[in-house]
Amino acid sequence: MIRKIGVVGIGTMGRSIAEMLAVKGLDVLLVEKSESMLNEALALLEASLDRQLERWAITLAEKKLILNRIHKMKSVQDLAECDLVIEAASEDLEVKKELFKELDRALPPRVVLASNTSTLSLTELAAATRHPRRIIGMHFVYPALGIDVVEIIRGLQTSDETFQQTKEFVEHVLDKKGIMVYESPGFVTTRLICLLINEALHLLAEGVASAEDIDSAMRVGYQFEYGPLEMADRFGLDAVWAALERMFREYGELKYRPSILLKKKVRAGHLGVKTGNGFFEYDKDGERLP
Amino acid sequence: MNILVINSGSSSLKYQLYDMRTEKVLASGRVERIGMETSILSHEVPGKPEVREVSEILEHTTAVRKVLDMLTHRDFGVLKSIKEIEAVGHRVVHGGESFSESVMVTPEVKLEIRKLFDLAPLHNPAHMTGITAVEANLPDVPQTAVFDTAFHQTMPPVAYRYAIPTVLYRKHKIRRYGFHGTSVDFVIRGAAEVLGRPLEELKLVVCHIGNGASCTAVLHGKSYDTSMGLTPLEGLMMGTRSGDLDPAVVPYTINKEDLTLNEVNSMLNKHSGLLAVSGLSSDMREIVQAMEEGHEQASLAFEMYAYRIRKYIGAYAAAMNGIDAVVFTAGVGENSDVLRKSVCDGLSFLGIRLDDARNAVRSPEPRAVTKDGCPVAALVIPTNEELLIARDTYRIVRESRQQERT
Repeated sequence: MIRKIGVVGIGTMGRSIAEMLAVKGLDVLLVEKSESMLNEALALLEASLDRQLERWAITLAEKKLILNRIHKMKSVQDLAECDLVIEAASEDLEVKKELFKELDRALPPRVVLASNTSTLSLTELAAATRHPRRIIGMHFVYPALGIDVVEIIRGLQTSDETFQQTKEFVEHVLDKKGIMVYESPGFVTTRLICLLINEALHLLAEGVASAEDIDSAMRVGYQFEYGPLEMADRFGLDAVWAALERMFREYGELKYRPSILLKKKVRAGHLGVKTGNGFFEYDKDGERLP
Repeated sequence: MNILVINSGSSSLKYQLYDMRTEKVLASGRVERIGMETSILSHEVPGKPEVREVSEILEHTTAVRKVLDMLTHRDFGVLKSIKEIEAVGHRVVHGGESFSESVMVTPEVKLEIRKLFDLAPLHNPAHMTGITAVEANLPDVPQTAVFDTAFHQTMPPVAYRYAIPTVLYRKHKIRRYGFHGTSVDFVIRGAAEVLGRPLEELKLVVCHIGNGASCTAVLHGKSYDTSMGLTPLEGLMMGTRSGDLDPAVVPYTINKEDLTLNEVNSMLNKHSGLLAVSGLSSDMREIVQAMEEGHEQASLAFEMYAYRIRKYIGAYAAAMNGIDAVVFTAGVGENSDVLRKSVCDGLSFLGIRLDDARNAVRSPEPRAVTKDGCPVAALVIPTNEELLIARDTYRIVRESRQQERT
C-alpha cells in the first residue's frame, strides 16, 4: 500500500499536491535543493492551512498533525523509502527529462515515478530512464485538495502493474475520480479548458463583451465556479500560454494558437493571482478584489 | 470465560480483557497511531504500572497481533496462551435499521455492516477493519458486534421520523437513529436498582454527557426518544458540536461564507459548541474554572449547555407523560457537580430537589443526589460500555453453544 510519497518541485502545484496528500493522512517528503526555498514553500503551505482553519475546514490540532506529516528533503536520494514519487517541476521538457533521469538512477525500480505534466509526452520522459515501465502521468487539477479528479496517463511503455497501483491509489487512498487517458498533449482537462480560455480571450480582444460579463455568462449560465478569465488568472497566465503553445505545436491546429492578448499580459508581468493582477485583481490570499 | 472487547478506530484500537466469572478487567490498553512508524501500544494490568511500547504498526491486523502478544507476554501478560480468549466483542457505532440487538458476526452481518458505511463513514469502516483484523489473528474465535444505535430501535415512528419528504426516508433511510445506546442500556439497570423498582414501570431520562452528549427518554426500559439523530450532531450542545439549530442556518451560512460541504460539516462538528461560544475550550472543567474566574463568554457557554439539557428533560417528561428520575452518566455527567446542580435547580417544578451535600460527593458508585422522598430523583450512574459489550458477547456465545448442543 502507498503510504509515503515524495513530491519533487515546490511551485504552486507541488505545494498543492503536498498539502492534499498530508491532509489525507499520508507522509510527504518534499524535495528542493535550496533550504531557503524549502522553508519558504513550507511557510506558504502553512498559510494555506491557516486559511483552511479560518474557514473551519480543519482544527488547530489537525493543522499540527498535517504539518508534522510533511518532511523537508534536500535531494532525490532521500526518497528511497517512498512508495511513489510525484514530480511537479516546471513544465519544461528538458528540466523534467533530467529530473526523471536522476530519480530513476537514485530510486529502486519498485518506486512508481509519476509526473504531474499537463502537456508533455510521458513516453518521451520515460525514454530518458532505464525503467520506463514504472513511469506514469498523474495530472492533478489545482487546487489538488478541493478538486477530486486526477487524469492518469499511460505512456507507451507504462506497465499494467504501475497503472493498477496508481489507479488504486487515486481512487481508494485519495478518494478521487480517476480519468484514464492515453497519452496526447493536454489530455482531456487541459485541452478543453485552454481552448475555452483562449476563445474567451478572443471574445475580449474583439470587444464582444467585458471580462466581467464573459465570466458571469459562464459562471451563472453554465454553473462554472469561476469564469474562464478568472480561471486563467488562477492557473497563471504564463502556464496557460505555455500549455496552448505546446498544443499548438503538437497538433499544428490554429485553434490552439495563443491569443495575442494573453502574450501581452504575460510580457507585462501580469500573470494572474500570483502577481496580484491579470484580467482581474487579487489580494495576497488569492481573494478577488471587487 | 475470557472475553476481549475491542473498539477499533481508523488509526487506533482500544481493548479490555474481561474474566466473565467475576466481570473483572484482567488487562486493558490501546494502540495509537496505527499506520505510522511510531505507533504506541499502552498496556495496563490493574495494580501494575503501565507498559508502553513504540514500534511500527502499519495496519490493524498487526495491531491486534501486538495486543495478543502483549496479553500473553511473559512479564506483562495475563494469559498463558491466546487460546484462553474465548470470544471477542466489537463496538460498532451504526447498526442502522438492520440491528436492534447485539449479534454474532457472520458473513451476512459483515455484509450488512458494510452496507451501513454511508451512514457512519468515519466509524463503521474502522470497526470493520477491526473485525477483519481479529478474524485474521483468531480465525476460530467467535466475534460479536454491539451497536451504539441498537438500543434505540424501539423508538416509535412518531419519535424517529423527520418531517421531510418520505421518499428521503425510503431511499436513504434518513431518520433518527440515536447513539450512546450501549451506555443508556447499561445505566438504566443501575438506575432501577438504586430506585428499588422494576425497570418495566419506570420513566427515565438518561443524560449521557461526555465529549458527545445526548438525552434519552426511556419508557418502561425501552428507548422512546433520543436527542441525537441521523448523526451524533443533533440535540444537546456539546464540546465542539452545535447540537440543535434551525436547519436553514446551514444553507444560509454556506451561501454567505461560500463554504464547501466539508467546511460546513467540520464547522458544525469541530468548531462549534462550548468551544465556539466560550472562545476558550471544549472541556467542561476548563469552562467551569473560567466561569468561576468571571469569564463572561465561558458563563454564557455553560448556561446554554445546561439550559439545553433542561429543555430536553422537560420535553421528554412531557413525551412520556411523566418522569421518575433523571440519570446523569459519562465523563461530565458523572463528575461535574456544578453542571448537575445547574440542570436540577431549574427543574424544581418537576419535583427534583437536589441534595447539595450528596451532589458534591465524588464516587464511582451508583447513587441518588436528590433528597430522600422527593417525587423525582436525580441519579448518578457511572457508565461502562465495555462491560456491557462483554456481557452481551458472553450471553450470545453461551446461547449459541447451547443451541449447538441441542
